[in-house]
Amino acid sequence: MKNRLKVLRAERNWTQAELADALDVSRQTVNAIETGKFDPSLPLAFRAARLFGMHIEELFHDEERSSVIAEVKKDTYV
Amino acid sequence: MKNGDIMNQSIARESGYQSRIRTVNIRLAWWNAAWVGTCALMAFGPKFLWNKALGFTLLAIGLNVAVGVGLILASKNYVMELDELQRKVYLNALGITVGVGLIAGVPYSVMGTYHVIPFQADVSYLILLMVVTFSVSFLYGTRRYR
Repeated sequence: MKNRLKVLRAERNWTQAELADALDVSRQTVNAIETGKFDPSLPLAFRAARLFGMHIEELFHDEERSSVIAEVKKDTYV
Repeated sequence: MKNGDIMNQSIARESGYQSRIRTVNIRLAWWNAAWVGTCALMAFGPKFLWNKALGFTLLAIGLNVAVGVGLILASKNYVMELDELQRKVYLNALGITVGVGLIAGVPYSVMGTYHVIPFQADVSYLILLMVVTFSVSFLYGTRRYR
């Protein structure tokens, strides 16, 4: 699963530690989510979305679904 | 409400995950130390402290079990306080440790019974193996998600 956590955090000049505090998790967890090593649970994903004032799908998206949609679009336009 | 406000509120409310973890960590360490202490008392007390008096031995065993229950509750509390990634790492390490303990423990016991090994199959070796397994698994898990 891909996410925009790092970009959104950087836009707000927040450190990983500050974001971790706001989400009530460890800094390592924020780092693991940002680098795509760990997918957060639904409650944590919702918490992050709420923090950034966004919908959850604006913050996280499924790579597999994105590639399927890209394939379908490619096939449609060929 | 702006994002910044939410951020400030969150930090003000919980400047805290790390400090909470530190608190439960210290509590767990104390329970661990107490349990090891009561284990030592139970193991060496009868010989060196009270000359194998049954009453004191039973008391030491009871104390060990009581502190053991406290340790289990402290461990449970610790796991509940961890965030989801750290809980996953901790539980993975715990799962591997229980597996290794079972897989190694049964043949170890049989080897001791049939004198395949030149020494008595002491439970302390098994505990040592489990401690090492847990430490390695936990460190591996922590590094993996760093």
